[in-house]
Amino acid sequence: MARKVGIVGAGVTPFRGKWYEKTYYELAQMATREAVRDAAISIKNVDATFYGIYNDIFERAAIPEHPLQGIIGMQNKFGIRISCGGATGAYTLSAAHAYLAGERFKTALVLGVEKATDCFDFLSMSATPEVIKSIGWSGDSFFEQKIGWSASDSYAEIVLGYMDEYPGTLKPEVTAQISSQLSKQVRTNPYAQRQFDQVTPEEVMNSRYIVYPFKELEICVYTEGAAALILAEEETAKAIAKNSGKPIVWITGVGEANEHSFAGKNQKNMSHIVSDYLGSHHAYEMAGIKDPVKAIDIVELHDAFVHQLEISLAEFGLVPYEKVDSLIEEGIMLPGGRLLVNPCGGLIYCGHAVGASNIMSAWSARNELINRNLKTALVHGTGSTISQYTACAIFEHE
Amino acid sequence: MTEKVQKVIPDEYIPEVRSRVVTIDNKDYLLQNDAMFTFYERSMGEFSPFFLAIKDEKKILGCKCPKCGIVRVPPMVTHCPDCNFTPTELVEVEQVGKMNTTPPITYFATSMFLDKAPFGRGRVILNGADTALSVMLYTTTGILVPGLIKKGTEVKVIFGDERIGQITDIYCVPASELTPEQLAKKGLQESELNWEAPKEPEFPEASDEDMAVYKQSLKEMQALAAEMSRSKRARKAIEGWKRDIAVKTKGGEFAMYIDDGDFKIEEKKLKSPDFVMACEDPRTLLDGLMYNGAITDSVIMKRLWISKNLEFNTIFKLDRLARFLAREKKEQAVK
Repeated sequence: MARKVGIVGAGVTPFRGKWYEKTYYELAQMATREAVRDAAISIKNVDATFYGIYNDIFERAAIPEHPLQGIIGMQNKFGIRISCGGATGAYTLSAAHAYLAGERFKTALVLGVEKATDCFDFLSMSATPEVIKSIGWSGDSFFEQKIGWSASDSYAEIVLGYMDEYPGTLKPEVTAQISSQLSKQVRTNPYAQRQFDQVTPEEVMNSRYIVYPFKELEICVYTEGAAALILAEEETAKAIAKNSGKPIVWITGVGEANEHSFAGKNQKNMSHIVSDYLGSHHAYEMAGIKDPVKAIDIVELHDAFVHQLEISLAEFGLVPYEKVDSLIEEGIMLPGGRLLVNPCGGLIYCGHAVGASNIMSAWSARNELINRNLKTALVHGTGSTISQYTACAIFEHE
Repeated sequence: MTEKVQKVIPDEYIPEVRSRVVTIDNKDYLLQNDAMFTFYERSMGEFSPFFLAIKDEKKILGCKCPKCGIVRVPPMVTHCPDCNFTPTELVEVEQVGKMNTTPPITYFATSMFLDKAPFGRGRVILNGADTALSVMLYTTTGILVPGLIKKGTEVKVIFGDERIGQITDIYCVPASELTPEQLAKKGLQESELNWEAPKEPEFPEASDEDMAVYKQSLKEMQALAAEMSRSKRARKAIEGWKRDIAVKTKGGEFAMYIDDGDFKIEEKKLKSPDFVMACEDPRTLLDGLMYNGAITDSVIMKRLWISKNLEFNTIFKLDRLARFLAREKKEQAVK
């Protein structure tokens, strides 16, 4: 029987569009310092590190985690890096959970960090075209990179595929309202990149197309920052929690799936995010959740794009495929609705520091479960071409 | 005749060796120009027949599993992963097919594709194939707009005139834009198509009312430009950028100057602008600068014409300028 694993500490750096003042070395240490302080333990009490870093090019090094081992005080101990595209953070959490549940270690640090906007395009004198170019190296290198593959256009393919299958869904008025709602929620997150960027649905509708059908205010922003969690197996978690006085949030389920990276017969179904369906339902099964609509109070999901947020929630079984717009039209995710979706503002407003993003989401889900005294949260990461990868986790607050 | 030599990294992308200092809260931080680069002489391995067939024979190849019968294009596998790794065989497929799903259109491209935007990229299932080939999509009628190519739209593979055995040697256009002969022809080349050239729009003579609208819009735009030049956040949107733009409207012509954070509008005809914008109603541009509808969308929807596609980049910066000013005002109000 696997051991129970819980979260006993968490910390994040402020998420910013650009950290001139820090390198990723210091950002990683900042988040680590916060997490061990939150758990009221010493880094000497941590057995292993799981690094979530997405992209070597952002960090400008092929083994970007190696200098961190000493900088965070984890020399001479286990350290492994996970890199799974946008789902890096969630997969890193999943890996750490497996090692603790398998009794390899008693405690682990889950550390995500990314420094995205050091990339700079000297032709347009701005960072963004170079940042998305760097992500563009993640596409298939034989057939797709050279014809303009990008993260946005590959997710847009799925969204348009969904709209082909479910016409009349993902209405522009609804995606605009969701973005506006997320911008209100971010107001209480002091670590967010866009804490004061509250937008109206009209502003979202009026913002420019980036990649059709995505408008500028419906997509995530690139971010620099770090996030860290301290995980512990059951007995150690109880001892740490007793000392820190903070409740344990248990990880009761994890689930992952990676789809085919090309479309067509026996390959990827372009009208769905099957990985989201499988990842979430594997996690429900492990957590013993029969009816997610009843069980899930909070969802902290990877909202790279508002349209994808809606599709992911449908794949999680939290809203019907043909009625995804009920998230707004029936008030499901509006204040007072049955589901709290991305209270931190999500990746669109808190920011997307890729390797750190899902760990930031986990930090937020833990805080919200404790502060609002709710029971169950779903944390999610998606990534790679055409939303190929998913990792999910279920958090439960006793 | 000398052959045009292309570099794998065009010279214009490469910055000079240089550094600069930014000061935040009275502390200096150093920024160094840098690059991480690796060159490859990369083998196309088992994909070599596919790329050579495009280059030398203007053919598209797939691989067929003799057991399950699936034809994969591109020929991704030498052995079928669905049939216990049964060896597959190469087959030729047709050059016409249907879109698997509605394709996205990229307006804001990565730094390597700024000169190609706007472009569509989607997946076509060529006749005779079961899986989808990723392709770039263009229209011969100008800028690609949403709705032109959808799920099920029939498209035809077009081959570049000069091919080097890369996926960029081919792209697709809607079959409806071709003659029956072009549609039937195998190995149809780019130079055989009738591409519509971008033409500067001509406006009818302005009425007194048009003139009044022009004067009023110009005044409002000049005031906005002054406000933007004073805004710390808005200045960031056009930092390091320099463009002299001639703007032609029905009521009159004026000049926009972008110069490293400064934004100025003057009633003047520029002799040699970096590019020309033309819109019948100057309020199209005024609305954009007021953050009331994106200028990008006006270009996409053909309300605003630009003389160089590459200057989409400047259009994005103008949209950003409007948004940054609006955001600064809002944040000040919140605080």
